[in-house]
Amino acid sequence: MAGPAAGEASGYGRSPRAKRGRGRDGGRIQTALSYAVLTALGLVVLFPFYWMTVTSFKGEDQMRSLVSMFWPSPFLLENYQQLLTKTEFLSWYGNSVIVSVLSTILATAVGTVGAYALARLKFLGRGFMASATLITYLVPPSILFIPLYAQIKNLGLANSLYGLVLSYPSFTVPFVTWLLMGYFESIPEELEEAAMIDGATRFGAFRRIILPLAAPGVLAAALYAFTQAWNEFLYSLVFITDARLRTLPVGLASFITGDVYGWGYLMAGAVLTTVPVIAAYIYLQKYMVEGLTAGSVKG
Amino acid sequence: MAVPAARLETKATLGVANPRGGLARVLGPDYRLGYLFVTPIAIAVLALVAYPFCYAVYLSLTYKLVGMPPVFVGLENYIRLYDDGFFRRAVYNSFLFTFGSVGFKLVLGMLMALVLMSKIRWRSFWTGVLLIPWVAPTVVSALNFLWIFDGSLGVLNYLLVKVFRILPQGVGWLSEPGTAMASVISVNVWRGFPFFGISFLAGMKAIPGELYEAAAVDGATALQRFMHVTLPGIKNITIIVVLLSTIWTFNDFGIVYILTKGGPGGSTMVMPVLTYETAFGAQRLGEAIAVALYLLPGLALTIVVLARYMRKGRKR
Repeated sequence: MAGPAAGEASGYGRSPRAKRGRGRDGGRIQTALSYAVLTALGLVVLFPFYWMTVTSFKGEDQMRSLVSMFWPSPFLLENYQQLLTKTEFLSWYGNSVIVSVLSTILATAVGTVGAYALARLKFLGRGFMASATLITYLVPPSILFIPLYAQIKNLGLANSLYGLVLSYPSFTVPFVTWLLMGYFESIPEELEEAAMIDGATRFGAFRRIILPLAAPGVLAAALYAFTQAWNEFLYSLVFITDARLRTLPVGLASFITGDVYGWGYLMAGAVLTTVPVIAAYIYLQKYMVEGLTAGSVKG
Repeated sequence: MAVPAARLETKATLGVANPRGGLARVLGPDYRLGYLFVTPIAIAVLALVAYPFCYAVYLSLTYKLVGMPPVFVGLENYIRLYDDGFFRRAVYNSFLFTFGSVGFKLVLGMLMALVLMSKIRWRSFWTGVLLIPWVAPTVVSALNFLWIFDGSLGVLNYLLVKVFRILPQGVGWLSEPGTAMASVISVNVWRGFPFFGISFLAGMKAIPGELYEAAAVDGATALQRFMHVTLPGIKNITIIVVLLSTIWTFNDFGIVYILTKGGPGGSTMVMPVLTYETAFGAQRLGEAIAVALYLLPGLALTIVVLARYMRKGRKR
């Protein structure tokens, strides 16, 4: 994480937060209405997560008898025990960590230098590459997964985690690049020029001046790449056939193909899959919200 | 993004010292570092998107079974699909799913942005809470709703029948053709509306306060201010978000696949799920890709328009 100075200098996403002073009349009713809407939306948004957590601590008997719907009684840990000892959940967790971390490192490295070049450097074909990257970001996976699978198979990487590590950049690299292009463009060019007048090379200016300033943006981009990889479903479903090599989303979804669903341990798995993403999000909310809006719109 | 385009251009032509000769004049002053830095993206774009895309177009013109070499058949796959009632239904369902979802996301997103713009405490807390569906893994959310919608033990029926007594008996939300589509749409809306909301919020924050003050001085009501100041101010963002979401929703696979697999009786069968089923259920790869590419002209047009708006949004 960059120090406060870096965030300050980038001035990115720091849209004016001045009070708008609208709706001064009848403001109280409006405020009450706002809270009512917020509460309603908040309940709708949070309820599925509450329900997932409650279910994960319930026993089979309680679920079947529809008693004490909204609180586990008795409060049981057996779903988690069963999940961790009797299913391949832990292998899936490891697979997801490996695939997400490796593909995030790959995408962030490629995207960062690429975005810098596309945002700052002057060379023939820059505009074309910038457009190509953006268009690539918009091509949906649902038309790519079959030919990508054929390619991965030809490389002998079908049914291998490395096949996923190599395919996830198809959506993470364009996204990271597009996001960081905006970030680099927002850093004043004078800073680099000053460094170069002082004798730094272009690369030196990038490494010592620009990269540290862009650190919050790179962090946001990396986090997004990570959550995208962590949440990815279609490629993983298609490319991996071995049950032990599944990633978490596909593994969890495979629980529902059996006749008996076992909602308890399915929900326990859902909780453990959600926790890292939400934890990262709570910890780094500011960066992620900025990154989210920068992905599509001017901040 | 603070630096105006015009200033970038002058900087470019003035250049910082440009010691290199002819090649730099043709390829640009920074061509060495530029090409070095761009090569990895170029490889990723070519190998992971451009080539697979071209290969997909080729495969869609072949008769190809899994494990067999492709046989070129021209447009046969497309022609056969045109007469296929199940495929036509999937096209119809895809449009219904997409426009239904995007419409509700638009309305809810606007509502979210407006309440977050109003005078409330803990704004960033509320923003953070409302964004959670967007960050959480889609598969987890879909599984949560699969459980919530469950016909016999699901909590939605429990609430509607036992707690609020709105319905006399439970509904098989995902297993009855009448409610299945509405149910999958509601999950897509639940997951996607925060993105609309946060984007509109960013757009609204960028509207200069003076505009509202001027409108208020002229005696505009709150509704008039919304219609004549807020909406025009977020027009571009709205176009971008709607087009982006249209592409994403049209190609959403996970939610429908997990909730219904296209059932019951094809009533929620959308094109991405049909593509998957044709490829890995029926093993007919050529036909599967033809399903995926059938609406390519529309997709291409959407992408081009959207890319133009997104670049325009950045340039200012």
